[in-house]
Amino acid sequence: MSEAQATGTVGVAPLGSPWHRLGAWLASERVFRLLPFIAVEAIFVLVIIIPFLLTVYISFLKWRANRPFEQAVLSGFENYVQVLTEPGFWTALGRTFYFAACAVTLELVIGFVLAMLVSRTVRGKGLYITILLVPMMIVPVVVGYNFTMLYIDSGPINQLIAPFVAPFGIDPRIRWLSHPVAAQWAVILADVWQWTSLTFLIFLSGFAALPKQLVNAARVMGASAWQIFWRVELPLLKPAIVIAVVIRSMEALKIFDPVVLLTAGGPGTSSQSIAFYLWEQVWVFNKFSFGAAASIILLFIFATLIFLGIYLLVRSSTAVARGVR
Amino acid sequence: MQPFRVMLSALAAAGLATGAAQAQTTDPVADRAVELARAYMKAKKLDKLEQNMLLNSLYRNSIGDFTDRWEKLTNIKIVSSPLGYTDIPSKIMAEAVAKTGSFDIFNDFPYTMPDAVGAGVIVPFDEWAKKGKPDFSGVAPGLSFQQYYQGKLYNMVLDGDHLILVVRKDIVENPQVIKEYQAKFGKQPGCPATIDEWEQMAAYFHTKEGDTRWGIKFDKPMYGAMGYRSVNFSYRHFPAYFGGLLFDKDMKPQINTKEGIEAITKFTSIVKYMPPDIQGWGTPQIYPFWASGQAFSVMSFPSIVGYGVSNEKSIVKDKQLSCLIPTTAWKGKQVRRSPQAAGTGYMVNKYSKHPELAYYFIQWLTSPSVGDEAIAHPKGFWDPFRKSNLTNDAIIKRYGKQFLDTTMENSNYAVSLLLIEGNYEYFKILDNNLADVMNGNIKPAEAAKRIETGWNKVTEDVGRKNQIASWRTGVETGMYGATFKD
Repeated sequence: MSEAQATGTVGVAPLGSPWHRLGAWLASERVFRLLPFIAVEAIFVLVIIIPFLLTVYISFLKWRANRPFEQAVLSGFENYVQVLTEPGFWTALGRTFYFAACAVTLELVIGFVLAMLVSRTVRGKGLYITILLVPMMIVPVVVGYNFTMLYIDSGPINQLIAPFVAPFGIDPRIRWLSHPVAAQWAVILADVWQWTSLTFLIFLSGFAALPKQLVNAARVMGASAWQIFWRVELPLLKPAIVIAVVIRSMEALKIFDPVVLLTAGGPGTSSQSIAFYLWEQVWVFNKFSFGAAASIILLFIFATLIFLGIYLLVRSSTAVARGVR
Repeated sequence: MQPFRVMLSALAAAGLATGAAQAQTTDPVADRAVELARAYMKAKKLDKLEQNMLLNSLYRNSIGDFTDRWEKLTNIKIVSSPLGYTDIPSKIMAEAVAKTGSFDIFNDFPYTMPDAVGAGVIVPFDEWAKKGKPDFSGVAPGLSFQQYYQGKLYNMVLDGDHLILVVRKDIVENPQVIKEYQAKFGKQPGCPATIDEWEQMAAYFHTKEGDTRWGIKFDKPMYGAMGYRSVNFSYRHFPAYFGGLLFDKDMKPQINTKEGIEAITKFTSIVKYMPPDIQGWGTPQIYPFWASGQAFSVMSFPSIVGYGVSNEKSIVKDKQLSCLIPTTAWKGKQVRRSPQAAGTGYMVNKYSKHPELAYYFIQWLTSPSVGDEAIAHPKGFWDPFRKSNLTNDAIIKRYGKQFLDTTMENSNYAVSLLLIEGNYEYFKILDNNLADVMNGNIKPAEAAKRIETGWNKVTEDVGRKNQIASWRTGVETGMYGATFKD
């Protein structure tokens, strides 16, 4: 019997001491299994709940940061009414949905086609995958600055376009960053370039996970390549498609980096997204209360959409699982 | 060995003497700042100290030469944190909420000052200035009074960024151009006297790619004009077109008037002679484009002339003619207004542990002698603004006499941009509507109406009473180059 055992000490706490009792209590099955959750909940409360409650509180104040916070007064729903009656808010929100719809559609189509081609490639697959994943790994600031250079009116993009449009008498100098419509597409295309990598990756995993026996069975039964794709592969890829749609839509609705770096929301407000609009209201105009109210309203709008997306995701996964069975 | 030691000692003594001579500036303003800083350190029993400055990143390559000297003189190390100028105001306002005291000095445009004062994040210098006695002599009212807000000194400026017009000297001095231009307009080409004449010249000199004019074959197009027309820049140029005050004494906007609509019309109509992408351009695009020789004229910050001279690839090195800002029509007369479109200054954080010491550094840096050195610094972006700049050899060498004479004369017409709380929101409303006119979405009259409505909304939101008080105080100093009677 060791000295520790003899004296009844474990580590440094003597047996029966308060520390020992605390240690024993923490080590008990009932408490120990809850410990990890306490840490997680604490982080959740600190970084999510408290800031959220603070945002809700600020949204009910009349406060611009050009006045000390101590001077802020309660203003009820005034900020919410201001946000809901502010045309700039709705225009930016509508434009964000437009950006998201265009960008996500293009990313899905291009990502799907690339994934299909790469999944059927025999040689150099690894190289193609690596190259196609690179854009996603580049820091958005770098992407933004690179596209600024590409988009200038005498830049490479217009030079590439010139031979195709000039013979028809069309001015090849598209004002990518200063024309109201072109600027919107400049933002969308930069987003598509960077984030098609992600949809490609999701679809590639989808193609890799396709049950080979079903495809082979269809082939044996005399199905054409188109029928195999349309009747077998595409339905099985539905969960991957929904995942890609949900993830990319969530991100696209928050579009901010390309807007700031390429157009600063201009010309005028023509390429302003809702994230940019909010950033400007809060950090440039110091309208913290207005921004807080707008954030809460957006939270409800986006949360509804995300829940809808998740519902679709679950439903499609269940449907596919049923089909496979 | 002995003679060698003697020689070494002599060299060391000479070195020390030179160092001492460098430390002594013979500038009482700078010397007082150093002495007061030393006295403060002694009184607080501080041997060494570190202070932090939130720095406009334009100065990252030049500020070190000055902060090192300040450290040698006072044992106070200034650590600079460079940041893009668009991000600095939000950092300052975040500090107003966080109250950390992380930064002792803020380096930004004067236009950040009103919101910072309102938020209580910067302190007035007046008490320390009584002891330090800074010198603003030789600085035009439009520049010096933008250091004040509500009658108190909050900010010291070391940068004359009032706008200038530059035209291509080689073109206007071309004998064939002179002949043709004289025949058409009855006068010799040169600096345009008015905004209307600038547009007329822009139209005349606007040349397509491949054209041959005045014996010159243009392989690339030569645009008649260039100016800042993008979001975050248009508002800086607009006062050159608007000859009066933006508001009356009760903060009623004066933009939705005959003069306001005319200013919007002229501001936007010259765009057709500018590069097609001009609405997306800032300094990184405009400066190199000018240096590439593809524009006949440009309205810009004065440093464009220095860029045109010093840039290695510039083809306009000896081809720049600096001009006074053209006049604009205002109620039947012509007025000249050169907006101080940028031009950074230095403010002190209220939550600094040693705000007084931060002030002494600012007084020293902006003093006539050290300030001159900064303006002459080859890697600096501080532009001439003080009369003493005209006689400083290093500054003359860097900028050239013709430019210096012009920019100093221009400073007499310098006007401050709007210096009241919420100004960035007022500016943005103006910018957005100017962009809408330039893009053909709305007419100038509609833009004027929208700007008026937007500005009134901001005034109400910030607090009309407070805005009126700040506006009236500012106008009375003369910083806007006009009075309520004009």
